[in-house]
Amino acid sequence: MPYKFLNKYPKKFRGTGIIVPFGMAVKRMIKSTIHRPVTIMYPYEKEWVPDNYRGRPGLRFEKCLGCGICVRACPTTCIELVDVTDDKGNTVKRPQVNIGRCMMCGYCAEYCPVDAMTTTTDYELAEFNRKDLIYDPHRLAFEGTNEMMEVHISEHLLSNLAKGITDKPVAFFETDRPVLDDTKCISCQKCAKVCPTSAITMVVVGTNAKGREIKHPIIESSKCVSCENCVINCPKAALKIKEVL
Amino acid sequence: MGYCSILEWIFFRPWDSIKESGYCPYSDYNLPYMIGLRLSEIILGFIGWLINIFVPSWSPENSFLLSPALLNGTAVVLEVVIIFAVGFIINLTMIWEERKILGRTMDRRATMIGPLGYFQCLGDGLKTFCKENIAPRAIDKKVYWWALSLVIGSSVLIACMVPLSDRWYIVNYDAGLMVIFGLFALAPFLILSAGWAQNNKYSLIGGMRAAELMISYEVPMLIMLATTCLMAETYTIGGIVKAQFDTVWYIVPQCLGFFVFLVAAIAESERVPFDLSEAEAELVEGWQTEYAGMKWGLIMLGDYFRGYTACAFIVILYLGGWMLPGLGCTPVPELVFIGKVCLVFAIFAIARGAYPRVRTDQILNIGWKVLMPLALVNLAFVIVLKTVGWF
Repeated sequence: MPYKFLNKYPKKFRGTGIIVPFGMAVKRMIKSTIHRPVTIMYPYEKEWVPDNYRGRPGLRFEKCLGCGICVRACPTTCIELVDVTDDKGNTVKRPQVNIGRCMMCGYCAEYCPVDAMTTTTDYELAEFNRKDLIYDPHRLAFEGTNEMMEVHISEHLLSNLAKGITDKPVAFFETDRPVLDDTKCISCQKCAKVCPTSAITMVVVGTNAKGREIKHPIIESSKCVSCENCVINCPKAALKIKEVL
Repeated sequence: MGYCSILEWIFFRPWDSIKESGYCPYSDYNLPYMIGLRLSEIILGFIGWLINIFVPSWSPENSFLLSPALLNGTAVVLEVVIIFAVGFIINLTMIWEERKILGRTMDRRATMIGPLGYFQCLGDGLKTFCKENIAPRAIDKKVYWWALSLVIGSSVLIACMVPLSDRWYIVNYDAGLMVIFGLFALAPFLILSAGWAQNNKYSLIGGMRAAELMISYEVPMLIMLATTCLMAETYTIGGIVKAQFDTVWYIVPQCLGFFVFLVAAIAESERVPFDLSEAEAELVEGWQTEYAGMKWGLIMLGDYFRGYTACAFIVILYLGGWMLPGLGCTPVPELVFIGKVCLVFAIFAIARGAYPRVRTDQILNIGWKVLMPLALVNLAFVIVLKTVGWF
């Protein structure tokens, strides 16, 4: 029996089963005539897109520090830090995105410490060649960026949610910050040079046997954004991030 | 003799004088013929007036342009064009209606071009018209082209032979139903020969399926036709319509017959769920596989002409034709008829959206084990009604 839905009818009246699909079709027709079909005529009319839509990444140029967290967070490695000139004529580092490789995950916006990277509502990204798919930092700017386009790291403990606590678990006195292993530091000052927020100041802590000054980095916790640039660039691995557990 | 005013060239003759002139082919008032006559009076009068400007000796009295023979000849040609054009427009409306209904049953939008998407069919027609005319090398050329033209031609012919009202017809046959159904049943033979001529296995299977389809639905359909003629005691279309106006619509006593005729009519016009011979999914358009471009477009148009004829016959036989109960012939019986045809065609279109295609082994069962007994039961019921004397 090819029509399984007929099985629920008594055998005598199975011939009337042709009414069921007809009735279904009429019902669907009336419904979609009253409420309009679910499809839309795409190039002429577009669906409403919420502000937190994960479209292409956008950049607020002035807010960006050039720390490079987005570069490290990107799963497809489509972000690259490039040198550009800002409005004042200074050369600064800003992310450049290869949209052809971007998978719109929004991790760059999520991990950005100052929320300079955002997701945008722009999803029509077709171009005629691959070169046009590379968005330089100025082109990444999106008009009408608002706070809904920012993506925040919001981690919740399931046990807290079960108790009805929706606040973010934040440690008030400690956050993840780089700490120094004094014995390894060679006073090279590289960490202070690479710090995008200039949170690191070198402080003289003494003199060595040859009479030269020994400098150790002091990290100002209020300025630090935990970008790990100092940790990566330290030649002797004297710095490491201390995680708050 | 000299210049005559345009009003002396263009004037409308009354119907009685036209009938007495001896050239008029109709004894009753015929609307498309009259429209054709008025148009030819305007066109020929205008040409005569233009000539009269330069040739003053050319006057309305001695000009052959306004002679009844030429006027009637032009009128008949224009009448044919008008009848075909109206059928064509009804056809376009039905295609539009079907696409809209199919779109709604599938919860999507349908046609888009023009007001409410009405001009989409014209766009599609233009597109198929621009395609290259390709015919395979290994075909039977004579049969290939003749079968194609006869399928399209017979479809258009029967569609144009359907009267829209008692004043809109080409020929008022005494046996109008018989003639139209004789031509209606011609298509499967032509489809079979077209399928053979294309030298393609899909086309051949499609053509054979068309023949199989015809064996199964033709007999119950003709029994239904005979039943209705028995009930109305006439073979003329006008007589059947008038008999329904005098009693009730035949869908009331013959609701069983209406159902049988509906199914058989869908099969006759080879539409889903009885489109075995096309069967796009299995047979890649079946017997139409090797007909490319505008040939396919015309075949599709012919299919819709056949669908229109099937709907028109359901309206004539069961739904009271161009008359409305209580009102009789409204001032525009043609529009009433077209409206009813479109309503019946909506059933066709919804059925197309609702049902899967019938298998080849099921179609004979449906024809001979379901439709045939139902048709005979209906015939017996009608005979009882006639014997009792209620109709």
